Amino acid sequence: MHRRSFVRLLAATPFLQVPSGLPPLRVVSKYAAAATPGMPGPYPGRVVAVTSDKSVDPSTGKADDETVREMMARGMRTLTGAATTRDAWRRFFDATDVVGIKVNCGGYPHCISAYEIVAETVRQLTGLGIPVSQIYVYERFQDQMTECNYAAHLPEGVQSVAAERANRNVDNSGYDPATYLEADLFGEEDTRSNMMKLVSQRLTKIVNIPNMKDHGATGVTGCLKNVAYGSFSNVARTHQNGKSHTYSVVGTLAAMEPLRSRTVLQIMDGLRGVWHGGPFARTTRYVFYPRQIMFGTDPVAIDRLLLDIIEKERRAHGAISIWDRSPASLKVNNTRARDADPNVNIIIREPGHVEFASTLGLGVYDKKKITVENVTV
Amino acid sequence: MIPLLLLAALPCIEVMQGAEGRAALAAAGITRICAESDLAGREAAATPGITARAGVASPTRSPWVDANGWRFTRRPDARFVYDVPRGKAALAAAEAFAYGADAVLKIDPADARDVAAMLTFLEGLPAADLPAIADLAVVDDGSAMTGEVMNLLARRNLLFQVVRSPTPQFAINIAIGSAAYPRQEAADPSAFAQNIRRQLTDERRALRIYGSEVVIGRLTGDATRTRLHLLNYGGREIEGLRIRVRGAYRPGQAQVAGAGRITLEDQVVAEGATEFSLPRLTTYAVIDLEAAR
Repeated sequence: MHRRSFVRLLAATPFLQVPSGLPPLRVVSKYAAAATPGMPGPYPGRVVAVTSDKSVDPSTGKADDETVREMMARGMRTLTGAATTRDAWRRFFDATDVVGIKVNCGGYPHCISAYEIVAETVRQLTGLGIPVSQIYVYERFQDQMTECNYAAHLPEGVQSVAAERANRNVDNSGYDPATYLEADLFGEEDTRSNMMKLVSQRLTKIVNIPNMKDHGATGVTGCLKNVAYGSFSNVARTHQNGKSHTYSVVGTLAAMEPLRSRTVLQIMDGLRGVWHGGPFARTTRYVFYPRQIMFGTDPVAIDRLLLDIIEKERRAHGAISIWDRSPASLKVNNTRARDADPNVNIIIREPGHVEFASTLGLGVYDKKKITVENVTV
Repeated sequence: MIPLLLLAALPCIEVMQGAEGRAALAAAGITRICAESDLAGREAAATPGITARAGVASPTRSPWVDANGWRFTRRPDARFVYDVPRGKAALAAAEAFAYGADAVLKIDPADARDVAAMLTFLEGLPAADLPAIADLAVVDDGSAMTGEVMNLLARRNLLFQVVRSPTPQFAINIAIGSAAYPRQEAADPSAFAQNIRRQLTDERRALRIYGSEVVIGRLTGDATRTRLHLLNYGGREIEGLRIRVRGAYRPGQAQVAGAGRITLEDQVVAEGATEFSLPRLTTYAVIDLEAAR
């Protein structure tokens, strides 16, 4: 292609109209939404929660592979109503798809997207005839992927991909320069967050596998945060010095095309969880074991349930609420105090980001309108 | 010390550690040494790079960039001297060149090869004696406060021209101590620069840089062509830097120190500006752009 053909006009995109007090956000994307976007997908407001006491041994933290497989099978069949597990997966994928599996490595070593769940996902995808070369396990940072080493648990040929070598803001080549969110949040010079090229240019479908984790800036990090902040550059800029703009940015990123249309399946890994200090889990001090996996296509509905799960666990430990906005709890930038004391926030959290995402059409927030089907294995 | 004399447009090099330093220069192929007269009466330039500044509040997570472009812009006829520690000499040479500064570099002998490579690169660049492009003017009262405002404007790539009195050429003329720009506002130069940015608006800026907060650009040009100098103060190579330059330009190439000619990628012209990606930025790059007809 001649270089001149690259010179083309970008569509002018106005800044989004946002409620008073929220920062103006400008979405730039040439991608159109699918007829039925992956989020909220075919099952808005519907969540299948599969629990098994056998799934993880809390004394060792080790998961039982066979039990996890059974949980996955039951969850997918219940969600779709399909007679077989294969048919359940076939509702979302076919052999022509190029599938991204968005894992979460931020909680290494104690709470990352479970190898057993990721491996079973790959097994089901290859069972549909999708070549391993068309399956990408992805995160933003290669050093995190290297630590987690999913490749050791997956068939040879499955791609492990990251956009940047590490979180050093020097490596933008993995991001799409034409697909971004523009916002000036704190006076930063770099006002863009670009979507990963993998997402915009290669993948046709995405399976999102977040963990059940607390998060110091968003309250919880679930489906929305994992797929949004894990698919765009320069997102740490949204929360600093005690203030978080995640309230509107998380949902806005998740709603950007083509990410929204291509993220067709949510598998919330609650085998292990983190009730404080998230998204990190460098020690087991704040790790707990819900021993649950949730399935759905509606990220808002699952995250709405996650808010209660993390809140309940924090209460059980006498910790302040994720909704706490008290200045008395706030020790700005003092991560040491936060790590030592679950009654310390370093940023005023924005768990309301889940409800905000519902206003963008990403799913159902009202619990009365969310149907949860519980399955025990 | 061994003063070295290079081409007039390039910084002059002096190396510490006597005979050992001289040998290092010789081994690096640097043969033209400054005269003693070049060393007298020079102002100190800061060591360029990024530093952690404990106790200095920053409204963003941006690293603190130490750069001299604002000094060179403020006093284009002044003579400067860098006294730089190991690892900083090539950046200092590029910085002085980018601003056309008259500068001597006192370098660690260990940097001789890096500096020689940088000087060779700079010598190989096509000449481009173009006027600086600016978005606003700063009326220089000679004060330290105004200097710090210039420093913070430069760090944010808010391109300014130094003037003696307000000029109708620019919609924004910053005169510290005036009714529009009182001293108490300028006492926090970072916040002040941010306010200027809001006043100017990002859309109207001649230069935007995305993908890094440690790259400072200098833009020169006329109606037919523009030269963009990019200085990377971060010490790490940057990939995929995105640049937005006001105006419409034809597809171009970058000349990147240590990497040679690199084609700009993903170029688009829209909304009165040209955007492109620079695949690699080492310490320094020059991008020459021809105006689209």
